[in-house]
Amino acid sequence: MNAARELQPVQTEEQQPRKSRFAFLEGWLYLLPSIILFSVFVFYPMFRTIYLSFFLADQIGPFEFAGLENYHYILRSDSFQSSIKATVLFVLFTVPATIILALFLALLTSEKIMGIGIFRTFFSSTMGMSVAASSVIWMFMYNPSIGVFSKIAEWLGLPVIQWLQNPDYALLAVSLSTIWMSTGFAYLILLGGLQNIDPHLYENARVAGVSYFYQLRRITLPMLSPTLFFIITVSFINAFQTFGQIDILTKGGPVESTNVIVYSIYKDAFINNDVGSASAQAVILFFCVLVLTVLQFKLGEKKVHYR
Amino acid sequence: MKKLLVGLSVLFVLFLTACSGTESASGTTEDGKTEIIFWHAMGGELEASVNDIVDNYNNSQDKYTVKPVYQGSYEESLTKLKTVAGTEDAPAVTQIFEAGTKQMIDSGNVQPVQKFIDEENYDTSQWEENISSYYQVDSEQYSMPFNSSTPVLVYNKDAFEKAGLDPENAPRTYSELKDAAEKLTIKEGDQTSQYGLSILNYGWFFEELLATQGGMYVDNENGRDGEATKAAFNDEKGQRVFELISDMHEAGTFYNVGQTWDDMRAAFQSKTITMMLDSSAGVKGLVDNADFEVGVAYLPHPDGVDPQGVVIGGASLWMAKDINEKQEQASWDFMKYLSTPEVQAKWHVESGYFAINPAAYEEDIVKQEWEKYPQLKVTVDQLHDTVSSPATQGALISIFPEARQQIVTGMESLYQGADPKEALDKAAAEVDTVLEKGSRSR
Repeated sequence: MNAARELQPVQTEEQQPRKSRFAFLEGWLYLLPSIILFSVFVFYPMFRTIYLSFFLADQIGPFEFAGLENYHYILRSDSFQSSIKATVLFVLFTVPATIILALFLALLTSEKIMGIGIFRTFFSSTMGMSVAASSVIWMFMYNPSIGVFSKIAEWLGLPVIQWLQNPDYALLAVSLSTIWMSTGFAYLILLGGLQNIDPHLYENARVAGVSYFYQLRRITLPMLSPTLFFIITVSFINAFQTFGQIDILTKGGPVESTNVIVYSIYKDAFINNDVGSASAQAVILFFCVLVLTVLQFKLGEKKVHYR
Repeated sequence: MKKLLVGLSVLFVLFLTACSGTESASGTTEDGKTEIIFWHAMGGELEASVNDIVDNYNNSQDKYTVKPVYQGSYEESLTKLKTVAGTEDAPAVTQIFEAGTKQMIDSGNVQPVQKFIDEENYDTSQWEENISSYYQVDSEQYSMPFNSSTPVLVYNKDAFEKAGLDPENAPRTYSELKDAAEKLTIKEGDQTSQYGLSILNYGWFFEELLATQGGMYVDNENGRDGEATKAAFNDEKGQRVFELISDMHEAGTFYNVGQTWDDMRAAFQSKTITMMLDSSAGVKGLVDNADFEVGVAYLPHPDGVDPQGVVIGGASLWMAKDINEKQEQASWDFMKYLSTPEVQAKWHVESGYFAINPAAYEEDIVKQEWEKYPQLKVTVDQLHDTVSSPATQGALISIFPEARQQIVTGMESLYQGADPKEALDKAAAEVDTVLEKGSRSR
């Protein structure tokens, strides 16, 4: 945004076309590094994916034009439908819970009290753990024969649940560990947002003698809304792209109950050597996320209060 | 500041040149030795063992140097190989798991070792026939067997005794298996504290239980008489396997351990299950870690069926096609070294994999090991008793990974009360589609 604003006055200086052209080129020059990086790592792979989705292809490259066959095949297959269901459920399980939990923790720790740093470190610490490492820890905890959950259940006399082997619970179990993993990041962003709110507003509120919840509803949430909007959008996109914990905890099983679209793409591309079908799924996922993000901007941003 | 930037740029350029300047995968070292790269998928303690063997080889002669590189699991290293195959960076020798055999042949980037066998009349009869025949296609030896394992029934002898079963006589048939599991299952109210049997949700075990009945996985003699076009595993032989799992799960004597080997082994060690199917390569670790007596027996089979033995699992070594003659010789020499009785004996003892050269079993270290772990011998005997046929040679298809996923999904649906026949037919239909799609690939 800033860059565009600074460029504008230069473009209006019509009397100096030479200087303006130079400025234009100079602007491009500054953009060049990111354009190159984006082209190599984002735009080229994206167009290549769209291209490959119309072919029968393996890991070496396309070998037969297939038109829309890959799409037909996917949309008809039960397995893709269960992938969509798993993905939607997973997003619904994780995103609201993560944000509410992170917001709750951030509100708790936004006060300046002695020793609050310790709690802030605790609550944001999951951000410092890699997905792989935390998944392995959760895998041990879920283990029905030696895991801590089944020990607790046994001790309490409750039935032992096979969290990751039972299709009714597997997605829930993966979601739970994902909430734990992603809370740290959301917490940190939200805490930063809270710290940025002008303290005078709270002073005024105190003078007016309003209740805590009134203050939360009328001051904190509106002032935090740009941050909230950011974290909601990012969490949605992240949830759609979840891969690591599924690969380690369930490998898409049992009975494909956790086979989210990204995992299904990975399986088709790298295990089943069917890059065409994987590309088609990737394209479908891309448009789903695109539509959702646009909707969020259209509907959600109206409620966002920018200072 | 400027100096810092210049310094950083220089570093960046150096980094770039370092990246592009990685030595080509196989070449000649300064002292005139021919160097070859060897990719393998043996992690953990096995990697140490492989490195040890390679070191011994490098010190045993002064013409060739082998550089071992660990590339992750079988699936991962196959995926990586596919991206570099045919280029300069491809390794001269790669270890590929049994299910990747067809993919390797179809890739066109490998050469059969038969060429070298013929050139010097190398005697392949010294190898274990049941192992080497898996890697023979159209009576040509494509790759050099290296590490092989088979499935066995592993059981808790102490629990057998407590349940009044004979710990020296493990169940052989399905009905014996069901009876034993019934006696071994301990229920307290509606909670089960000890289960009879577990089979990992892994396609390999289904393949084995099918092969031991002489059942085919795909048509055209398991794809060895011609390109496979249809799944064949959903006949009555395959159904017996699914019915066994379904019946026992319904009876509450079967415990679903999921898809992870370590979870299954943890359930066995913690006595949640008393019998399970495991790979022979895992036996030694189980015996070492269990605080009870571990028994090992042959793979069970349905009543009234003459057991045909097992299909070997594990991996073999493949030689790349586009390497120069010196490197070919180095690769061949290295492969020959690996199959000598001494090396195979060391490998068998340290890894629990079979010796592909039966002469290894005469070596002293093996004899000592067998005294300590008599269970290891059972796994070798089972292999020797195998009748070599297209069924026990295993299916030759390139879509193994996907077929296995379909079988696993089928197994998992059994625990949800799916009908065994329907579950199996559904998996077969999926495999048919994939085979059809696969036949259109190059």
